[in-house]
Amino acid sequence: MSGFFHTIQLALRDYLHEWQMSLCFILALAAILAPMMVLFGLKFGVVSNMVDRLVQDPRNLEIRTVGSGNFRSDWFEDMRRRPDVAFVMPRTRTIAATMELYNRKARPAKIVSVELIPTGNGDPLLGRGTPRPSRLNEVVVSKRAAEKLQIGVGGELDGSLARVYAGRQERVHLPLKVLAVAEPGAFPREGAFVSLDLLVATEDFRDGRAVPELGWRGSSPDSERTFSGFRLYARSIYDVNALQNALVKQGLDVRSRQAEIELVQKLDRNLTVTFWVVALVAMIGFSLSLGASIWANVDRKRRELSVLRLVGFYTAGIVWFPVLQALFTAVFGWMLAVLIYVGVEQGLNRLFAEGLEAGAKLCRLLPQHYGIAIGITLGAALLASFLGGMRASRIEPAEGLREL
Amino acid sequence: MSLVFKLRDVRKLRIAEGANFCLVVPQLDIAAGEKVALVGESGCGKSTLLDMLVMVLRPSSVNEFVFAPDGKVPLDVWLAWETSRWNVLSDLRKQYMGYVLQTGGLLPFLTVWDNINLSRQILSMPDDGTVRALAKTLGIRRQLNKLPGILSVGERQRVAIARALAHRPPIVLADEPTAAVDPVQAKKIMGVFLGLAEELGTTVIVASHNTQFVVQLGMRPVRQIFRPSKKKGVINSVFQG
Repeated sequence: MSGFFHTIQLALRDYLHEWQMSLCFILALAAILAPMMVLFGLKFGVVSNMVDRLVQDPRNLEIRTVGSGNFRSDWFEDMRRRPDVAFVMPRTRTIAATMELYNRKARPAKIVSVELIPTGNGDPLLGRGTPRPSRLNEVVVSKRAAEKLQIGVGGELDGSLARVYAGRQERVHLPLKVLAVAEPGAFPREGAFVSLDLLVATEDFRDGRAVPELGWRGSSPDSERTFSGFRLYARSIYDVNALQNALVKQGLDVRSRQAEIELVQKLDRNLTVTFWVVALVAMIGFSLSLGASIWANVDRKRRELSVLRLVGFYTAGIVWFPVLQALFTAVFGWMLAVLIYVGVEQGLNRLFAEGLEAGAKLCRLLPQHYGIAIGITLGAALLASFLGGMRASRIEPAEGLREL
Repeated sequence: MSLVFKLRDVRKLRIAEGANFCLVVPQLDIAAGEKVALVGESGCGKSTLLDMLVMVLRPSSVNEFVFAPDGKVPLDVWLAWETSRWNVLSDLRKQYMGYVLQTGGLLPFLTVWDNINLSRQILSMPDDGTVRALAKTLGIRRQLNKLPGILSVGERQRVAIARALAHRPPIVLADEPTAAVDPVQAKKIMGVFLGLAEELGTTVIVASHNTQFVVQLGMRPVRQIFRPSKKKGVINSVFQG
């Protein structure tokens, strides 16, 4: 058996032999570590829930224009190339982006005026599995619109637009197929997600321009199209601020939910700082306490350490003896702290389950957090026991042997 | 016969209760296979000399301190102390020495078997039945699985003797190994101890306060005398052998 494993074996046997003393050390460590883990679990759980809520609601990623602008296609191309942009889509004037939808098959027939929302691939408002309208005769209706129209997926609607052109009232109809019904959170009012082409066609019709694809007559379209606004979504909540600032630099007046995001980020930062201050004080206290205990323990074990010296233990073995025992305390203390933490976590999450969304937890830790906890505990124990180990190595064997 | 220990003018100064006590060894030669007894009254420095011989106590000054365990290459113990080569001293102890402490010096967290086997385990010696055989000879076979805490003083001393002999060292030192037991037990234990040492051809160095007892056992006594010092307040305890 190699010397080091022999030292481990002897240190463990002594540790178990003095189980009452060892248990006291373990309890002392768990008494500090378990509340730290609960505190961090609460901080992590609360902040995670808030961040999750922010992330889950794509409206928090949205940056909206205030008023009308004049955006050309190349502006949209530039925005699409930015790494912090998840989705950008031109918008026409709000007043022109409406349509009346008829469900003639319903009894009685239903008619609802809806807002048109241009959509496309990557639209964060529509779920992943939701098909995107790409043709002029396809729509995804909002939940509210679907309910009012009494229509479902695959249903057929009649889209209707009206205008006054050349002094005459005109109305056009367009058969539409419902590809999907959007989630309630996607758009809370009566709305229809449509392709950009349909939105542009709607504006052109209202502005008296011809839409040859749909057979709507009117004046010739402008040579270069511009858009009055956009639908813009940042890639993550952490990109919103930078993206908003970039748009402001372009002279645009934009709005976002940055204030709410910042509030959560600030809360996260403050709670993290608070946690680490408390944890640092606790770990210093624990290290000092463990260090003092080990120091005293080395004094108490002078006889045993001297005997080990006498029978031929090297200096390293003598240093490792108290250090290993401190590491045993760290490992067992951490295990006990994890058990206590898991119990408290379960209790807290059950207690506050009603106030939380399904699947959300008020108190939780990730596997890596347990790893960090054992790492810090082992580090503190090593630090605390090192001085004790060095003290052990300086004991002159004859001193301890005389006490036998 | 080759010398195992050769000491010339070895001194150890100790300050105890305000008085300076100086152990002086002007000359001490111990040959391989010898049975030597350091004899003197309590407090005269027998244990101190044993500690220096077993290399767990650093002398204060030395003219010559040579250890030649195998009778071939002598090792300068003083140089090892001077150069802080403690691991070299550890190696010498574990390979060549067994030490029986006055009160046993057993590790309380190991069973009797593990205590006896400790020195063998450190040397990675396999279990060849030596521990069991020693325990049988010393009459402690039934105690092998017990912890030292529940043994009598006499039994602990026997375990300590077994531990000192288990790895078959060429030199065994014993510090009044029977001081804590009655005379009948003492004679019996020492008889077994010296018998085993004889069997193994071991050099034995024992500290004792009873000259008659060690002479009866056939050991060479190295006597201690107190000698006034030229320095004020210093008591010289001199071992001459």
